[in-house]
Amino acid sequence: MADWQELVRQRLAGIQLSEHEAAQVAEELASHLEETYQALVCDGLPDQAAVRRAWQQVNDWQHLKSEIEIARKKEPPMNKRVSQFWFPAFLTLLLAMVFLMTIEELGPKPWISPAASHPRMTPVAVVYFAWVITLPLIGALGAYLATSAGAAPRAVFSSIVFPVLPYFGFFVIGLPIAVILDDHVAHDITLPALFLGLGAWVVLPAVALLAGGLPVHYLFSRRRPRRVVTA
Amino acid sequence: MVESGIKRGAAELVVLSVLENGALHGYEIARRIEQETKGSLHFTLAALYPLLYRMEKQRWIRGTWETSPNGRRRRCYRLTATGKKKLSPLRKQWAELFEALHRLAGVCNG
Repeated sequence: MADWQELVRQRLAGIQLSEHEAAQVAEELASHLEETYQALVCDGLPDQAAVRRAWQQVNDWQHLKSEIEIARKKEPPMNKRVSQFWFPAFLTLLLAMVFLMTIEELGPKPWISPAASHPRMTPVAVVYFAWVITLPLIGALGAYLATSAGAAPRAVFSSIVFPVLPYFGFFVIGLPIAVILDDHVAHDITLPALFLGLGAWVVLPAVALLAGGLPVHYLFSRRRPRRVVTA
Repeated sequence: MVESGIKRGAAELVVLSVLENGALHGYEIARRIEQETKGSLHFTLAALYPLLYRMEKQRWIRGTWETSPNGRRRRCYRLTATGKKKLSPLRKQWAELFEALHRLAGVCNG
């Protein structure tokens, strides 16, 4: 009676897996071969012919070895997340910040909401239109990077709007806390002014980013062939 | 490339469908496929295990070692929640593909 495990182990010698994993694969494949052999014997095939037929399931053990290595190779889950979300998200954030700082330094001057001219109002609605105009390009880049890395629509969307998250956090969390804790922040910020600030720093940039990002995502996700025929 | 891709896509659908009804080990998966397709589809060991390992890596299926009453250790595969979710769109895509082939080349799916 053949020692299937030993024979499979010999054929898989040198497989690029951990010792434990290689042993498990050998055990599993040996079990499959043994069951095939037993079924063939039950069907009336002579012993030697059944052994031969069982081995015929694998023409090229080298090829099978490399297929198993590829299939079992662990991809660090971070790699995928990095390429599908974190890299595009931080790149769009970085570019948006660099563009904003450059425009703040070099101009053109921002548009300041009329409410800011009121002596008792904090000028929360300051819109750098030159910056807003660049955002569709940044959104498009984020969408392209995330989509071509195979990100799900939700990850693509998050990568596109990532640059507005710090502002969102500021208006929703930071500003109310500052109003409570910091005496230097004017306490008479009216609710409409707060919403104006949210609109200028969160909604408007998000719309601009999405205006560039969504068409690119749509375009490239349509170009990506469907998995069923290209996997 | 397309041919091997089609084969792989079809193989994934076949394995997911077979496991839909419950956990099976590798040999049983191959036997069930052959039985249910009346021999039209035949998965050799060399074709089956790289596919199972790949699907396991994608978390569509999960393999666990189990010991049968006769003491034999086997690795049983079952569908994960991700695999269950994957099955329905895969079926739809294949139905669309057959529909398209039927329209284009007269390939009949029924």
